[in-house]
Amino acid sequence: MKSRFCTAFTAVLLIVFVMSALGYAGPVRKKLAIQAGKIITIAGADLKNGVILIEDGIIKAVGTDVEIPWDTFVIEAKDKVIMPGFVLAHTSSGLDRANENVPEVPFLSTFDSIDPISSYFEDSLRDGVVAMLVLPGNNTLLGGTGTVVRPHGRTVEAMLIKRYTGLKISLRPTRNTSRMGHMQRFRRYISDLKDYLEEYEQRKADAKEEKKPFDEEIDTRKQPMVDLLDEKLTAFIYCDRAADIPKAIEIHKTHELDTVLVLGSDCYKAVGLIAKSKLPVILPPQLIVWETNEETNEEEMKIIPMIFHKAGVKFAFQTDTSQYGSRYLWYQAATAVKHGMKRTEALKSITLYPAKFIGVDDRLGSIAVGKEATLVFLTGDPLDAQAWVDQVMIAGEIVYEKAKDERLKKLLEKPDEIQVPEDTD
Amino acid sequence: MRRYAILLTFLLLVPISATRGQADIIAIKAGKILTISGDPVTDGVILVENGRIAEIGTEIEVPENASIIDASQKVVMPGLVDASAVPPVRGDLNEQSSEITPALRISSALDPQSKVLKRIVQTGVTTLYVSPGWRNVIGGLGVVIKPTGPPRRTQEMIIKDDAALTVVMGLDPISGNRIPWREPPTNFYYRRPTTRMAIIWMLRKSLFDAQQYATSKDKEDPGLQILCSALEDEIPIRLNVRRAINIRTALKLAEEHDLKLILDECTEGYKVAEEIAQKNVPVVLGPFYYYPGSSSQYREGREVNWNNAGILANAGVKVALASGAQSQPIDLLTAATFAVRHGMPRDKALKAITMTPAEILGIADRVGSLEKGKDADILILSGDPLKVTTRIERVILNGKTVHKTD
Repeated sequence: MKSRFCTAFTAVLLIVFVMSALGYAGPVRKKLAIQAGKIITIAGADLKNGVILIEDGIIKAVGTDVEIPWDTFVIEAKDKVIMPGFVLAHTSSGLDRANENVPEVPFLSTFDSIDPISSYFEDSLRDGVVAMLVLPGNNTLLGGTGTVVRPHGRTVEAMLIKRYTGLKISLRPTRNTSRMGHMQRFRRYISDLKDYLEEYEQRKADAKEEKKPFDEEIDTRKQPMVDLLDEKLTAFIYCDRAADIPKAIEIHKTHELDTVLVLGSDCYKAVGLIAKSKLPVILPPQLIVWETNEETNEEEMKIIPMIFHKAGVKFAFQTDTSQYGSRYLWYQAATAVKHGMKRTEALKSITLYPAKFIGVDDRLGSIAVGKEATLVFLTGDPLDAQAWVDQVMIAGEIVYEKAKDERLKKLLEKPDEIQVPEDTD
Repeated sequence: MRRYAILLTFLLLVPISATRGQADIIAIKAGKILTISGDPVTDGVILVENGRIAEIGTEIEVPENASIIDASQKVVMPGLVDASAVPPVRGDLNEQSSEITPALRISSALDPQSKVLKRIVQTGVTTLYVSPGWRNVIGGLGVVIKPTGPPRRTQEMIIKDDAALTVVMGLDPISGNRIPWREPPTNFYYRRPTTRMAIIWMLRKSLFDAQQYATSKDKEDPGLQILCSALEDEIPIRLNVRRAINIRTALKLAEEHDLKLILDECTEGYKVAEEIAQKNVPVVLGPFYYYPGSSSQYREGREVNWNNAGILANAGVKVALASGAQSQPIDLLTAATFAVRHGMPRDKALKAITMTPAEILGIADRVGSLEKGKDADILILSGDPLKVTTRIERVILNGKTVHKTD
């Protein structure tokens, strides 16, 4: 009796475990084929009337002459454009609070703060984003580590793609401090850390000499910074102004870090330095800024993506949820194309490049054999404002359908008739 | 000596008249002309003379002395009309000493040197309406201008002064109220209305005063004089309203006093679209919001609908899309593009940034479409205006190129 109960209990546990491992509760079809009107693979040339074969959520074949096996479930999307889901390399939205008050908190993780029911994630999925690196905000010197999530799932665990990704360093002085003090604080932290590591190694060596067991572990509060110096974590260095760029590059060089620069809207002025450093870059959400030319006293329009594109810098776009178009990654790419950026390069800047920067390009960012079947089905060209995300597929499962999006319907359709009270006077 | 003088005069005159002849006639050869007032014209020509459109069509002879702008691979459309823009003014837009200031004119504060003008031009806007701020119940008189900028003088920018009277029914006049702290309680920040009731009462009181004034003998109050003109429909009233409940009050008030209304912002207009259409009141939609945020104006239009413009337009309301006097100007082409994305018919969206605002502002005889005799305010675009990837390549204002991209 007892053993039977145990078996049943284990079985239930096992089912729960398998379900949670999959991340969602719906049935997943093992073998899928998508017949698409157009496939923008990113990895190679665009395909017209192509087929994508999927098995267990992984792309098995892509091409125009792929034979569909008899036991495969076919999704007809001949009037759709299919491309890899968009990837957002930097965001601090969807957190209850993006910044800690204390300046040196590298041991914090956004994993503890992500709010799965935040409408930000729902919106992101609706807009075709399938992966995002959620990092602490730009107000903390050593803000903590980031989490890569997909904007789908009821718990952070279900949303999780990769934990412990990237560490945020902000070079913008915290309130009531100067840039001098801010930089000095950083240097002091690093030198203290190096002292600590030296002493740690010494203790380890001493223990070895005295043939004593050594079981002291590195202070967990310092671990992320140690991993940063060991290049196990990527530094996402936020530069508020152009003057912060040389400092960021200096930090990158002296400590031999794996670095991604997160730029403020003023940083385009240091484009030469950035191009020379060959560091990957995340552009500010606002892509067009105005500046007064001091010689002519004329207002000049600065198109940030073009400035970086011409300098040969590889970058990823960010979004700003409050702005008209810039809440959409595709709009950011279209703005760059409008001003002369190559279309293929602009599309890579919202898919493959951000995937690379956050270390998920082995699974996401392009449509290629072996990658995850995480795709968006669009009703038209991705850079056209009249095209909508019709469906989103994550690892072979359709997780969003515009036709079933009740919230969107409410935002676009006329409300039901409102009873107008009779005028009595 | 005299002979020399004649020769000299002759020599001086020749180059002047020659350059004049050249500069005055421009021929734009266009791949596609979106006239807005009529059907699009393919492979057409627009002749511009003295800052106006002299001819437009397909079979037009181009004069020999005309300078030619080749836009045969481009799309040509009229310059955009922003019916609610950021005023090119230095300093505050709100007079705080009183909440009823009908006699104030924004035109007396215009600054032709303002940098805003240059930005506005680059987004394709060639005509704009600007008004005093929204912190007063009755703010003052707005003006229609062209963003010509220096070296023009203010008077040359203005195409219609006293174009409308700014009245606010939204909650903005409340937001300026401030309890005196270590300052005399007579502080004028502490006399503003604090409720919606008071805003509407102040408005009604002002209209009542104006009615009294109209029948009285001594006509010396310039403020009441302007309110009288508004009551007599000589000056339209630009009424800022956001919530549906306020829109209804506005429509009722307009009916009582037989006012000529134009509704501004109208965030919840979609809820009362039929009523607005029935009263034949035009609407100038302000900034677009995806979701309610934290700023005070925003809090008022709590329930947003992305397709506000489309629902209003489909109900038969005259809808203009405007940048909504935002400090970060929203470009009108983007506004129209997204209006179409959210459900507004394409032709109505194009009109909503050109002809409709021109009609609402009462300047449709001069701007808003490409027609013979109208001002030569013309945009040359790289492609379809409602595509994000299309860029404005040239802006022509009063027949002169004021912006060009390389």
